[in-house]
Amino acid sequence: MRQGRLTRWFFQNVGLASALLLFAVLFFSYNMMHPRGFSAAVAVQNANETAAIAFLAMAQTLPVLLGGLDLSVGAVMTLTNCIASELVNGSPAQILLGVVATLLSGAAFGLMNGLIVVYGRIQPIIATLATGAIAIGLALLVRPKPGGAVDGDLGWALTNSVWDFADTYGIAGGGDAWWIRPFADIPVPVIIVLLVTILVWVPFRRSVTGRTVYAIGSAEGAAFMSGLPIDRAKIAAFTLGGFFAACGGLYLAIQTSSGNADIQQAGAYTLNSIAAVVLGGTSLLGGVGSAVGSLIGAGILRVISFYFRILDIDPLLQPLIEGVVLLVAVSFGAIRTLRVKNKLDLFR
Amino acid sequence: MRHLLKCTTALAAFAISAQLAVAGPETVSGPGVNPECFAPWSADTKFFQWEAKEGPYRVAIVNGFVGNTWRIQMIKTAKAYAEDPAIKDKISELKVVSTGTDAPAQLGAIEDFINQGFDAIVTIAVSPDGFDRVIRLADRNNVVLVPFDNVLDTDKVMQVNEDQLTMGRMWAEFALEELKAKGVTSGKILEVRGLPGNSVDRDRSIGINEVFEADGGDWEMVSVVGNWDDGTTQKVVADAIAVHGQFDAVVGQGGSNGVIQALKDAGHPWVPVAGESENGYRKAIAQYSDEGLKGISIGQSPGLVAIAMKAAVSALEGNVMPQLISVPLPVATYKDLEDGKNFWSDLPDNFFTVNEFPPCGVNISGPAIMAQDESDVN
Repeated sequence: MRQGRLTRWFFQNVGLASALLLFAVLFFSYNMMHPRGFSAAVAVQNANETAAIAFLAMAQTLPVLLGGLDLSVGAVMTLTNCIASELVNGSPAQILLGVVATLLSGAAFGLMNGLIVVYGRIQPIIATLATGAIAIGLALLVRPKPGGAVDGDLGWALTNSVWDFADTYGIAGGGDAWWIRPFADIPVPVIIVLLVTILVWVPFRRSVTGRTVYAIGSAEGAAFMSGLPIDRAKIAAFTLGGFFAACGGLYLAIQTSSGNADIQQAGAYTLNSIAAVVLGGTSLLGGVGSAVGSLIGAGILRVISFYFRILDIDPLLQPLIEGVVLLVAVSFGAIRTLRVKNKLDLFR
Repeated sequence: MRHLLKCTTALAAFAISAQLAVAGPETVSGPGVNPECFAPWSADTKFFQWEAKEGPYRVAIVNGFVGNTWRIQMIKTAKAYAEDPAIKDKISELKVVSTGTDAPAQLGAIEDFINQGFDAIVTIAVSPDGFDRVIRLADRNNVVLVPFDNVLDTDKVMQVNEDQLTMGRMWAEFALEELKAKGVTSGKILEVRGLPGNSVDRDRSIGINEVFEADGGDWEMVSVVGNWDDGTTQKVVADAIAVHGQFDAVVGQGGSNGVIQALKDAGHPWVPVAGESENGYRKAIAQYSDEGLKGISIGQSPGLVAIAMKAAVSALEGNVMPQLISVPLPVATYKDLEDGKNFWSDLPDNFFTVNEFPPCGVNISGPAIMAQDESDVN
C-alpha cells in the first residue's frame, strides 16, 4: 500500500522527482570531488550562496503557476536589500522591526503588481517589466551608493551553522547543549528557507486561494465558471511573490551586511529565477509545479557552477558549458513528451 | 574519565588559542618589501604581515563580470603570468572562475576556495561592500585575499589599484602643457566621462577638473558621458562636436578609439588628446602626432592582476606589505610610442597595451598574452 502511494506520488510529480534526483546526483558527486566534501564548512558555503536565488525561485513560481512571468522579482530583491541595509540594525527590537518592515515592503510591492495585473488588465510580463524599473529606481533612491550597516552579529549568526548561531547569541549553552547537538552542523540558511516554505508556502498551497492559482494556470475559463475567487488568487499570488523576493533581499542584506542597488545583478537574478523554476519541474504554461521544486531547481543551478571551482575548466569556456548543462537539465523536464499517448496532449 | 575530560578541554583550549594566534595578518610598521613595486598608497597606509608559509602556493582568481575585452585580457594575463619563469615555481595551481555580477556567487566562490585550502585568492569585487564574512573567514584560515581594480571600502585586506585621481590630474596637466606649447591659454575642453556612479569615474573626473580650475586660463569644460565604451564615446563626442563646433583639447577617460574616430569623421583638426591605453588609440597617436594629435595614454592595466598575484605570493612568503598598494601609472606620450614595444600595429584596436611594470619585474608583452590559448592551465 505504501509502495503504491509512493509510485503514485512519483507519477504525479515526475518533474519534481527528476529534479530531486538530478540535484542529489550532482550534489553528491560534487561533495565526493571536493577536498573537504560532506563537511559543515562546505554545506554552509553552498547554502549561503543558494539562499537568495532559492527565495527568488519561490517568488517566481507563483506568477509562473498562473501562466505568467514576473520580471520584477530581481528588482524587488534589490529594493528590499537596500531597505534592509538601512533598517536592520540597532537594538534587537529595532532589528526585528526592520526585518518586518523589509518583508512588508516587498509584499506591498507584490500587492501593487497584483493590483495592476488584475484591475489594470495588463499581462504580467509587461506590468512587471515596468514595476521592476520602478523598484530599481526606488532602490537607487534609498541607496545611491553601495553600503549600509546590517547588524554584524546577526550576519554572522544567520550565515553559519546552527552551532555558530547558538554560540553568537549564547543560547543552548553556547551551542553545546545536548539537544542541539544533532542539528549543530546544519547551515542556518537551510533552516530559514525550510521554515519559510513550511510556514508560508505549504498552508498557501492547501488553501482555496492557493488551489485557485493552480486552477487559473490550468484553465482560467474553467476556474471562473467554477466560481473560484480568481482576482483574489492572482493578487495573493503576486503579493506572496513579493514577500518571497523580500526574503531573498533581506537574506542578501544579512549575508553582505550591506545594500547595493546593482541593476545588472537584479537582471541576472530575475533570469536565473526563471531558469530555476523550469529546472524544478514547473511548467511555464502554468498550472503544474510547486515552489518546493523551484527550491531544488535553484540548487541545481548553483551546483552546476560549483563544479567550475573543483574542476579545471577554462574560465572563458565556463559560461558556454553552464549553458549547455542547463539546456540538458531542462530537457529532462521535457521527457514526458516522449510518452504522450495523444499528440494533442503536447499542447497542454 | 574526569582526567580524560580535562585533557580534552585543555586540548580544545590549546586549539582555540592556536587558531587565534594565526588569525589573519598582523599590523606592523613599514617600510614594506620592494617599495618600488608595492608602493604604499599614502603616508597613512598601514602595513600587514602574514606568517610565512611554505611554497609553492595555490592561487585562485575570482572574477565577477566577464564579457568585455579588458576582463578577457585580464584572465589571459593571469594565465600568462603564472607561466612566467619569475613566479612559475612559486605557484603550484592557478584556478580562475568568473561568477558574473552576482554578489552571493562571488562571495560563495571565495569561501569555497578558502574551504578547498587555497593559499591566496585574487578578486575584482562586484561591490565595494559586503565582504566582511569572507574577510573574517580568510583571516581565520590564514588565506591572503587580494581585491584589485574594483577595490573594497575597507582597510582590513590588502588591495592593489592605480591612483585614479592622479591619473585624472596627469591627463589634464599634459593637455594644458601641450596647449601652452601651442600658445593657447583659453578655450573649450571636452571631457569624456566613464560609467556614472562608479568611484573610478568620479575620481578621474575630479582630478581632471581640479587641474583645469587651478590653471589661470579661461577654460570652458564640456562634459559628455561615454561609459568607457568605444561606440558610446564615438557617438557622444560626435554630438558634442556638432553642437560646439571645435574643441581645443579632448580629455577622455576611456573609449579612446571612439574619440579618435569621432574627431576623424567630423574633420575636426587634430588637437591634444588624453586617453586610456587602447592599442588603436596609440596607433592613431603614432600616426598623426606630426599633424597635431599630441596624445597621452595612461591606462588601468589588465596587468594589475599580475601585480595582485605577485603581492599575494609576496605576502605568503611572510614579507611586510602595504595594506593598499598603489601601482605606478603606466604613462606613454606621443614622444615615447614605439611600434612593437608599447603598441602593436598588427594587434586589434581594442587590445589594452599596458601590461608591463618594470619595477615589479612584470614584463608580459602584448603578443605573449594574445598567444595564450584557451586550454587549461594546471
